[in-house]
Amino acid sequence: MASPSPRSVTSVPSYCYNCVAGPDFMKVKVVDGVATEIEPNFDAEQIHPARGRVCVKAYGLVQKTYNPNRILQPMKRTNPKKGRNEDPGFVPISWDEALELLSTKLTSVRAKGVLDESGLPRVAATFGHGGTPGMYMGTFPAFLAAWGAIDYSFGSGQGVKCVHSEHLYGEFWHRAFTVAADTPLTRYNISIGANVEASGGPCAVTRHADARVRGYKRVQVEPHLSVTGACSAEWVPIRPKTDPAFMFALIHVLVCERGIDALDVAFLRDRTSSPYLVGPDGLYLRDPDSAKPLVWDSASARAVPFDTEGVMPAVSGRFRVAAAISIDADEERHALADVEGVTAYTRLVEHMGKYSPEWAAGICDVPAATIRRIANEYLDNACIGETIEIDGVTLPYRPVAVTLGKSVNNGWGAFECCWARTVLAVLVGALENPGGTLGTTVRLNRPHDNRHMSVAAGEDGFMAQKFNATDKANWTSRPTGRNIHKTLVPIVGNTAWSQALGPTQLAWMFQREVPEDWNFPAPTMPEVWFIYRSNPAISFWDTASLVETIATFPFTVSFAYTVDETNHFADLLLPEATDLESLQMIKVGGTKFVEQFWEHRGVVLRQPAVEPQGDTRDFTWISTQLAKRTGLLDAYNNALNRGAGGVMPLKTETYDFSLDPAAEHSVEEIWDAVCRAASTNLSEGRETRDLDWFKEHGFYTVPMSKLDWYLSPTLEKHGLRYELPYQERLLRIGRELGNRLHEHKMHWWDEQLSEYTALPEWHDVPGRWAQAIVKAGAKAEDFPLWLLATKSMQYHTGGNVSIALMREVAQNVRGHTGVIMNAKTAAQYGIADGDRVEIRSHIGATYGNAVLAQGIRPDTLVIIGQFDHWATPFAKDFEMPSLNTVAPMTIELTDATGSGSDIVRVALRRMEAGETV
Amino acid sequence: MKSARQKTAGKSITPRQQQNWDWRAASNFICGGSGSGLLILSLFAAAAGADVRPAIVLALVLVATGLTCVWFEIGRPWRALNVYRHIQTSWMTREAVVALPLFLCGALAFYTQHIVWQAASAVCGAAFLYSQARILVNNKGIPAWRHPRCLLLMASTGLAEGAGFLALAATLAPPPQPVATLAAAVIALSVLRIVAWRAYLAALRHDGAPSGSLKALAGIDARIVFGSGAGAIVFAAAAAANLPGAVLWLAAAGALAAGGGWMLKYTLILRAAFNQGLAIGHLPVRGRGVSGPPVKPGWGGLG
Amino acid sequence: MSRYVMVIDLRRCVGCQTCTAACKNANATPPGVQWRRVLDVESGEFPDVRRSFLPVACMHCEQPPCEEVCPTTATKKRADGLVTIDYDLCIGCANCVMACPYDARSIVHEPQFAYGDQPIASEAVRFDPERIGVSMKCTFCVDRIDRAAETGQVPGVDWEVTPACVNSCISGAMIFGDIEDPESNVRKLLAETQHFRMHEELGTGPSVYYIWDQA
Repeated sequence: MASPSPRSVTSVPSYCYNCVAGPDFMKVKVVDGVATEIEPNFDAEQIHPARGRVCVKAYGLVQKTYNPNRILQPMKRTNPKKGRNEDPGFVPISWDEALELLSTKLTSVRAKGVLDESGLPRVAATFGHGGTPGMYMGTFPAFLAAWGAIDYSFGSGQGVKCVHSEHLYGEFWHRAFTVAADTPLTRYNISIGANVEASGGPCAVTRHADARVRGYKRVQVEPHLSVTGACSAEWVPIRPKTDPAFMFALIHVLVCERGIDALDVAFLRDRTSSPYLVGPDGLYLRDPDSAKPLVWDSASARAVPFDTEGVMPAVSGRFRVAAAISIDADEERHALADVEGVTAYTRLVEHMGKYSPEWAAGICDVPAATIRRIANEYLDNACIGETIEIDGVTLPYRPVAVTLGKSVNNGWGAFECCWARTVLAVLVGALENPGGTLGTTVRLNRPHDNRHMSVAAGEDGFMAQKFNATDKANWTSRPTGRNIHKTLVPIVGNTAWSQALGPTQLAWMFQREVPEDWNFPAPTMPEVWFIYRSNPAISFWDTASLVETIATFPFTVSFAYTVDETNHFADLLLPEATDLESLQMIKVGGTKFVEQFWEHRGVVLRQPAVEPQGDTRDFTWISTQLAKRTGLLDAYNNALNRGAGGVMPLKTETYDFSLDPAAEHSVEEIWDAVCRAASTNLSEGRETRDLDWFKEHGFYTVPMSKLDWYLSPTLEKHGLRYELPYQERLLRIGRELGNRLHEHKMHWWDEQLSEYTALPEWHDVPGRWAQAIVKAGAKAEDFPLWLLATKSMQYHTGGNVSIALMREVAQNVRGHTGVIMNAKTAAQYGIADGDRVEIRSHIGATYGNAVLAQGIRPDTLVIIGQFDHWATPFAKDFEMPSLNTVAPMTIELTDATGSGSDIVRVALRRMEAGETV
Repeated sequence: MKSARQKTAGKSITPRQQQNWDWRAASNFICGGSGSGLLILSLFAAAAGADVRPAIVLALVLVATGLTCVWFEIGRPWRALNVYRHIQTSWMTREAVVALPLFLCGALAFYTQHIVWQAASAVCGAAFLYSQARILVNNKGIPAWRHPRCLLLMASTGLAEGAGFLALAATLAPPPQPVATLAAAVIALSVLRIVAWRAYLAALRHDGAPSGSLKALAGIDARIVFGSGAGAIVFAAAAAANLPGAVLWLAAAGALAAGGGWMLKYTLILRAAFNQGLAIGHLPVRGRGVSGPPVKPGWGGLG
Repeated sequence: MSRYVMVIDLRRCVGCQTCTAACKNANATPPGVQWRRVLDVESGEFPDVRRSFLPVACMHCEQPPCEEVCPTTATKKRADGLVTIDYDLCIGCANCVMACPYDARSIVHEPQFAYGDQPIASEAVRFDPERIGVSMKCTFCVDRIDRAAETGQVPGVDWEVTPACVNSCISGAMIFGDIEDPESNVRKLLAETQHFRMHEELGTGPSVYYIWDQA
């Protein structure tokens, strides 16, 4: 509908990257200077996997811009007392006063040194959802780079809301920070709790829709019938947190019932550690001279180092080895003579023998016949032996994939699931091959743009890994951040993203209390805490305790959109010009999170479609001002020149668009340089496009081969193997880490160390939640139901909880009005649809309206999204429940990677009419 | 009815009670049906020699009240005359058209007491009553209305109410009154309405309708048949038998006949007017899955 | 003569409400009024349960019952199949609302805005008092269809002259076009698939086809 009589109508190209499934292209329709509509950008139809379309969230950006609850000028706190029931007394101040206040504080902190007496950064920062705030914070990363050490330990959901174990183990095994099906080619997808139709963004939704019409089969395994389950060919309502047992049984069928002849033997032999001989001590048998793992050469009938020229390794079997060594933790070498070596594959087969479908059926509440059928369908669809041509190269065609969702691949049991998923892929040669299970990007390794370039030869014929050291000489005995990632989690590494992927709940927990045998320096509070596009007071766990911790932080600076539950405790609110009002360029295409793997790569511009509302300012302007006022302008500009703006270096050997380090540059100057550098870089010098060109055209891309989607050819090129199925290295580093902690007389991480195993065993994963209740002094039987959380496509990320349009349209999707429960269960509790109910865990209660359904297990409740707001305007009137309110934060529910699962044991009751809380 | 249908959020596929016509629209069917029925019955009373002036006044007041209520209901009352633009197919237009001669003839009948005008006003009443019934029947969105037997039901109840009001009006006019004749009319038309009602209900159940409609209608069945229906018949019979206080018996019978009709129409429009709801003819095949049975929840009866 | 229809592939739809939001963006409908929405439909009993998504809006019927009952001729069916409402004629009697078996129409009697009594800028610039107190529904983005006549573009092919919901659909579930054109996408897709029209037994001749399987 047009304005009754518009004077001007323009269409401004931009992007939406509010969630990790982006970025996606869009245009903003502007009528007489007012943004009125979001539209797809069909200019990108041919290059964008979702044909230039954005998802429902982007359509809320118009209201996001004009939301009357926005903070439109800087505010400072006048009430020094911080508390949920304290009025912060925010008063408006000028930008000059705000920046002066902040830079004075930062300067005084810096004068004391960027690290404090405990060796922890004095400045901390928390950004929301999966790095996406970086797509809206202009050049702030350059300011942070100029500053130096910053603690990103305080999570806003990392580890408990993401697919954490997949990030860590995926990246370790196949450079897969995120793992996806090769949906455009796959024929069979076992989707275990993955809610890709809600969280995969337009690219995933488009691809899976195409795949459905093409005739692929997706089996959705999860306790409730999610949107993704709805769109799947089959729903398997599995008991919560028993997914490892289900997957072990799938492996059992493949290796114990179908056997090696039905599998991709060549892949197992050449691309995995399957042939490596394992000794009786569970360690690889190694060549006494070179210390290389041994394999049994079928041709010469003897054990030889794995990389012996012309070797034909046996994948299965037991063999006598005359002489070998094994290397245990801390380089402890054992000489072995006339020892039996069992191939890693055979160890796997023997290990999985006990995990039959009949065994799993009782644990998972899924019939054995169903498990067996799914395993066989998976294998039968794997097309072992077939090939496909991709951009002129013939590759194996293995169109089967296993995908995992949040709460399956974080917390206890996640390691087992990630391992089992990856083993299922390697057994049929589907790992990183067309149609199979793919990694789509790296974050712990570099470069982020091209995971193939992160592949280099490392130990034992595997890829090089940048683990945090666990040996005595190099182990980080003084944590470098408050979540202790470098010290406690070897596989998370220590690159830019590693901190934020550490055990982020530890940072929060240890602010309140440390374990009895804590022998690290005392955790200190950050002196300055930056927060942006993040509301941990809602999005993390045990939120009642968490806000008490936040309230103790001495100086909190929030780049604020509205008042919310976290910045309620802020000292300074700085409102930035938001999505439709500010200027920034980011990268698009290549292979990114989730299903953002493209056939193009390039850059896209976000530009002010409308004037900033009120006195909000472009984040780049704010960053430059901060750099100038803190005396960091030079370092800031140099960081920009290095590419810290997030796109490209401004100067390389072939071009130079660098900024004068000594000068203060305008927002447009900075991004104009980025535009020129990016276009020159992408076109390899053929074209240089300036900011004006990008404002008109929006994006610039170049073609990319689909071969970049698949890592296996790269491994083949390097002659490397995937470190699967046997986890000898994990076993060793786990032992080393244990040694280090025990040397420091710390045992509080011992349970987590049990996760470091060569072949995972089933342990009673759901039972851990019952045990945690008992340990907390309550009775497990008082909390008979499982409460799970699941994502809302409409609400999640980007402040959407404040957007009336999202509220309205979300209510068309089941569950957005309360807590979903099985209708029969509800009847047992005397609960009718719409009744107000209390959901109580051993730490607290949350309240909402019952949404009765059949598509949910009788022992399970599900809450969509994260609510229970008490400060955010608009959202605080929702009266929606939240799992986060009742989920405890404890060591015993933290796994070895430092993650936890969105799952709680709860009690349920109908509230009486008029009952208040 | 301000802000009707603003909360579509969370709406399901299941039929739901219409929200756009409230008591004001219902009043038009209630009063208009009674008034037009009364005009028709007045002709017979006049032919029998009764003074029907009070009845005519009452009839016109009823019809006018109904139309006034509607005027207050519509979103754009100041362009209400646009209602006359679609006589080709719209029964609402036709109802509005008929209303004009209805008032004219009614007024002339009152002043002249001439049988011609009385007959003309009765014809207008019949046309008005028919138009109202057709308004409901032509609304395809409301299964309980669009059933063909709803037409006879609406007509019969209008006549029964008309008889009821005539009986009531008789208490206002000076004696002598043709009590037995009026009582016979009340009895006959009450029986007709019961027959029409039960036929409608049976057919609706047979053909299928939203469960909410069937439930709401079933809820008043006893009152229609045994309350107002049988009550009116018994009281009218008492009047016809010239028991002591015959006029009062007649009045009571009339009140029951009219009241029963009002309850029926109130229920039909404000309680049983569940819309069609939505349906999925075939559940989609998701990938290599299978289709599923059609989904059309919230429907009852055999259909 | 053209007859525009919409084909919705239920196999693709994920119920994301992108089309709902895009429609509200494009047509500036007030809070709670959704000319197009996607219903979330569950059927069966645990554990044999199905959940389907059903995009619904005005079906632009061949024999529109709303047109027949409209006393003002505000509702009309055009030669190209679009059912339109002339807001200047409509008196808001709601008879069409009762006649529509697809629950496609709504009437708003007072101005309503996303955040309280006052419009935000994006609402103010497009607020149209003509739409208060009258019947409203999906127009198939009629202004875009009409623009096609001026520009020579093809609805359903060129996005500028295609309904907003169709443009927005991220699963590619919605196709728009001229069913009388043997070369149109809609015609071809319908030939390749099994489909149904809702409440066809009512004789309305809906212009929205739902695909549920391949042919």
